[in-house]
Amino acid sequence: MTLAPDSFSSRRDTIAFLLCLLLAFAARLAPAPVQMTISNAIVSSILAPFLYLQEQSAVVRASRIEYLTTVEDRDSVLLRAQEVQALTEENERLRALLGLRARLPVHHVPAEVLQQALPTAGLMARLSVGLDDGVQPGDPIVAPSGLYGIVQSATGDEAAALLWTHPDFRVSAMTADGTVFGIVAPSPSSEPNTALLELRGVPFQERLAIGVEVYTSGLGSPVSVYPRGVPIGTVVGVGVEEEGWSRTYLVRAAVHPASVSHVIVLTDPTVDVGTAFRTPGPQP
Amino acid sequence: MMIRIRFRLVAVLLLLVVLHFVLRPFLGDLRVAPDLLLLALLVYAIQARPGNAAIAGCAVGLVADALTPVAFGAGILAHTVVAYLAAWGKAVFFAESLPVSAGFFFAGTWLRDVLVLVTGGHMVERTLLWQLAVWSPLKALTTAAVGAVAILVFRRWLDVRIRS
Repeated sequence: MTLAPDSFSSRRDTIAFLLCLLLAFAARLAPAPVQMTISNAIVSSILAPFLYLQEQSAVVRASRIEYLTTVEDRDSVLLRAQEVQALTEENERLRALLGLRARLPVHHVPAEVLQQALPTAGLMARLSVGLDDGVQPGDPIVAPSGLYGIVQSATGDEAAALLWTHPDFRVSAMTADGTVFGIVAPSPSSEPNTALLELRGVPFQERLAIGVEVYTSGLGSPVSVYPRGVPIGTVVGVGVEEEGWSRTYLVRAAVHPASVSHVIVLTDPTVDVGTAFRTPGPQP
Repeated sequence: MMIRIRFRLVAVLLLLVVLHFVLRPFLGDLRVAPDLLLLALLVYAIQARPGNAAIAGCAVGLVADALTPVAFGAGILAHTVVAYLAAWGKAVFFAESLPVSAGFFFAGTWLRDVLVLVTGGHMVERTLLWQLAVWSPLKALTTAAVGAVAILVFRRWLDVRIRS
């Protein structure tokens, strides 16, 4: 049987469509490491020049918009820096008196967030730094106002970040005074523009007032992924009570991923970074 | 003549792809920013055979999934389906009018988002509802507006006749 030209081309179209669908299903069902390997291979080859353009574009935007803010920040930092030398010497003297070892330095890498267009881009982001910059999978990521996410995979000069909005995200949390602990996860029922998390597993007898700030606890086994003291958010209400044993609190996130363009990847997460976020209050 | 038209089409598509990456940091709230990569795919799809459009959709979906590997494969599926339907839509019905083209871009963008979110399954309940009812239509609207401008500006290069 000979196919008419229209019929043949129509069948060819259908076959091409079905093959593409088959490829899509195969990609969807592939194991996560295979998916990440393919993803990283494409990003570091075909997409590398385009992402380089986006990174440069982000740098230009940042330098244009944030110039005045940076000048103000620089001036205030200069003033604070004048006090640092005296404080450092005093700190070393006191540590020596108490027999404490030297304070661990915080290693970090600044990065641009390369936002993408898919509707799922609010759950995962591309960063402009990678293995060559010292970034490793599992490194925590913070924004100026608090916790942003974690590095899921990295290539030479790019990294994929799992944001706190992702359903798989979890972090051990505590209140500022370190008396109440729980696990923070994204709230599945929140509206995207309210950026809500849930503080789960808080013992029933512990009550948290609205407005209490929640930080990373730094707890983990054998070591924590997230350093102690990174702001996660603020308690805004009580969620559900689980059979009278524990409560879940709703927490408004300190960082909304859609508004973040620059982040810091902490390459040494085992230290306490709480003092970097707290604003200095009046001395007693 | 055909070679010249194809060259111009490739030039416009390449321009849209480059602008997608260069302009992204300047587009404000990224939940409503136009998706120029998808726009390039739709512009190609309305001029191509459904099979070729599906292959192009598969390639663009692979790129989108590589950039945001939340639900790897969902982007390939969504872009393939949208490009294939767009090419068939052009073959079956296509009025050479700017509002219809804009509506076509709007529908394509929204359908892509629906397919990505439903196939991915990472957003549920109110989050999914908000995304599909608020953010995706807004993004589709901006994409449609940019698409209409692109058609208007490059109508000769794209060999598109717009009825007055």
